[in-house]
Amino acid sequence: MLTLNNAGFTQQPELLPFSDQVRPGELLAIVGPNGAGKSTLLSLLSGFRAPHTGQVCLDNISLTHWQRETLAARRAVVAQREQPVFDWRVKELATLGARASETEARHWMHEMDIAHLSSRFAPTLSGGELQRVMIVRALCQLAQTSGLSRLLLLDEPTSALDIGHQQALMRLLQRLTRQHAMAVVCVLHDINLALRFADRVWLMDQGQRIAAGHPDHVLNSSQLAKTYRVELEDIQQGNDRWLAIKR
Amino acid sequence: MKTSTLPLHRWQPHPLGPCQLLLGALLVALVWSLSSGSLGISLPMLRGESSQNAWQVWWQLRVPRVMLGLCVGMLLSGSGAAMQGLFRNPLADPTLLGMASGAGLAVALWIVLIGGSSSAFGLYGQFLAGFSGAFVVGLLVFFIGARGQSASSLFTLLLAGLAINTLAGAGGGVLAFVASDEQLRQLSLWGMGSLANALWPPVIGLLICAPLALWGLYRSRHELDLLQLGELTAHGAGLDAPRLRRRVVLATALGVGISVALAGIIGFIGLLVPHCLRLWLGPSHRLLLPASMLGGAVLLVLADTLARSLAAPAELPVGLLTSLIGGPYFLWLLMRGRPSC
Repeated sequence: MLTLNNAGFTQQPELLPFSDQVRPGELLAIVGPNGAGKSTLLSLLSGFRAPHTGQVCLDNISLTHWQRETLAARRAVVAQREQPVFDWRVKELATLGARASETEARHWMHEMDIAHLSSRFAPTLSGGELQRVMIVRALCQLAQTSGLSRLLLLDEPTSALDIGHQQALMRLLQRLTRQHAMAVVCVLHDINLALRFADRVWLMDQGQRIAAGHPDHVLNSSQLAKTYRVELEDIQQGNDRWLAIKR
Repeated sequence: MKTSTLPLHRWQPHPLGPCQLLLGALLVALVWSLSSGSLGISLPMLRGESSQNAWQVWWQLRVPRVMLGLCVGMLLSGSGAAMQGLFRNPLADPTLLGMASGAGLAVALWIVLIGGSSSAFGLYGQFLAGFSGAFVVGLLVFFIGARGQSASSLFTLLLAGLAINTLAGAGGGVLAFVASDEQLRQLSLWGMGSLANALWPPVIGLLICAPLALWGLYRSRHELDLLQLGELTAHGAGLDAPRLRRRVVLATALGVGISVALAGIIGFIGLLVPHCLRLWLGPSHRLLLPASMLGGAVLLVLADTLARSLAAPAELPVGLLTSLIGGPYFLWLLMRGRPSC
């Protein structure tokens, strides 16, 4: 679905070229330390920035050649730290640029637990509530694209969420990939969320993708110790595995 | 997950209601303005036996003046709403990019160096000077800041406007320093803003340019809404931000340029009207832009009618009146602690 052909970015923040694919029905997590190039990569994947080398294609057509409106029906972006200036009500903000019917919008608002906030003004929301509103907006944008695979790009969508909403969001994203064949690319700081929910992980460091593959293979304590410069303990309990910072 | 049975109410207010109301108010304001003034010509008098002189005064002086108020009000207020949306800043106004200062400097050059209205070109020269100044600054700002692709070019645009405002202010200061008493009086009268010099030929030029600028702004209403999501999200939703920036800057340059050239600097219309209407209608430009255009026209036509009626036969500069209304309102906004809306 989304293909990177030797795509790279030569200006600061630099991103060394690499090639890979994001497939429909896949939840891909991009992890890495601060300044590793995760957001730059996401802006290339969304088409907001054009790569300086190679190209990024959706369905084998370069993102720069897509008509904006057609592309917007197939791909939506949730950026980090966007704060609307004016007094938008939640229900207006959640449907801005959206194609969803009112029923569908209401459905996503219930799913993301913001239906009870629908008449509130955006500046009065907490960071986590606003983050959920922006996710609903992206889902409403991708509605009514029957039959075509869709791509959802999220930059640190769990950064302001409490653990309950983090779990709920990741489950929803997983369901979107399983039931709706959507491709989801998600920049995450929480290694354990990536380990638990992602189908595949790209590990970034210093503007370079240093590892890619199944979370169990990429997110191991020795690899992460080198990348994050922190000692981690690998804990396995039954089928569950997680990483904890060593005391 | 929690569920709620709370209705989502209406998703958007019906777009025609408030605009119809404002259109009605504008029609009332136009009729009142066309039938009142220091000569006391009412519309029925134009049909009477001694109507020839009354008709001349009405058609040559009052009608172009009301048309000027209508267009300038629409342009300033519509540009203000669009600039506030473009910069995502509730304090932006149409003079932000320096077009008004550019026009001011050109008019000061015209009055001080060439002789102003006493020169061979009369008032037309002043209009042309004002428009040229605004247009040159508009182009300059456009080429400095509006061509860029990145979000930072918005700040470049803002800084270019600030620099031009400062430069033009300094240039105006130098000219005021060397001007004679009469030239200083002309300059300060122009600076206060007035619709008193409305003549048909420049007003016809305005009637041609204004729809172009207003259409450019009106076309941007959906895109300005998307821009409020931030550039990355808005791009993901299909927005071409550089194209929007180019269109809004060009439309504002044209609209503000010709408005300032013909009517001087009329304060607060571009800031006050979008603020008031945002409180009433919410921040969506789909409704805010057309409503601001209508609201700006209503306010300026009413303010001009008051300006020429309150102290008749003398006349108050209309810019003074709009600033007298706008200044306290703006202070009230600041004291409320929420200038955003």
